[in-house]
Amino acid sequence: MRSGDSMDRRLRISGILVIIGLLVEALCLVWSRPIAFVVLVVLGGALIGLGVLLFLYSLVSGPPHPAKASGVAQDKH
Amino acid sequence: MPTIAIVILILFSAVLAGVVVARPAITASSAGKILAFGVLFFLPLFALVAGMNNEMERSKSTAFCLSCHIMDSYGRSLHIDDPSYLAAAHFQNHRVPADEACYTCHTNYAIFGTFKAKLGGLRHLYVYYLKKMPLPEDIRLHEPFNNRECLHCHLGARSFEQGATHNADPATLPAIKANTLSCVSSGCHDVVHNVGHWGDKVKFWDGGS
Repeated sequence: MRSGDSMDRRLRISGILVIIGLLVEALCLVWSRPIAFVVLVVLGGALIGLGVLLFLYSLVSGPPHPAKASGVAQDKH
Repeated sequence: MPTIAIVILILFSAVLAGVVVARPAITASSAGKILAFGVLFFLPLFALVAGMNNEMERSKSTAFCLSCHIMDSYGRSLHIDDPSYLAAAHFQNHRVPADEACYTCHTNYAIFGTFKAKLGGLRHLYVYYLKKMPLPEDIRLHEPFNNRECLHCHLGARSFEQGATHNADPATLPAIKANTLSCVSSGCHDVVHNVGHWGDKVKFWDGGS
């Protein structure tokens, strides 16, 4: 497996977690019930937090993206 | 920030995050990196904080407290047409903000008052959803009502400081201020919500807000 694929996969999972967390948050804001606050904090917060952490992890753990490497090479020409 | 603005921000963030999910290779460019940082770090955290703040503010509203069915009769007690009912008199005469009536009296005016009030709210949720709910008339305060909550507004007010009953005995006013003589459970202002004990004669005032 290419290292770029690994980073892409992490970015995808991170994005999906963030999207689901954001949608949960949006639903909770529209749903005016006391339990909505708990769902927003516990579920929405956890999903967004996991997504953000995974994104940060993908930044520090992944090697340079192959596309970037080729882009740098093209810039030199 | 209004709820609708936060919802729009959230949906906008979700759409942009969808772009990164669909085309993660765009993060190879500098613009893509900035986009990814914005939609996978900054915007979600900003939206989360804004959403939580919005929910915290909403949780202070009278409508929020009364949205639980068990609180119906407490909400109704605010409309009792009898000035001896403390909660009704405060609500109807806007001695407390009508849209934050429950929170204004039942929060704790100490350093972590709002935090404690929210923790109390979580306990209410726990009981509401996971335990056997008490009857409305069986609901009790977690701890005796502290005069500090009354004095937050009344301290220094002429009606309080120079009130005939408060000054009938020189020891009364200092005792109230020291919280050794309770405002609401010493036989003075002890008719508050009185849920379950209204009888047939009680009337309601549905004017105002």
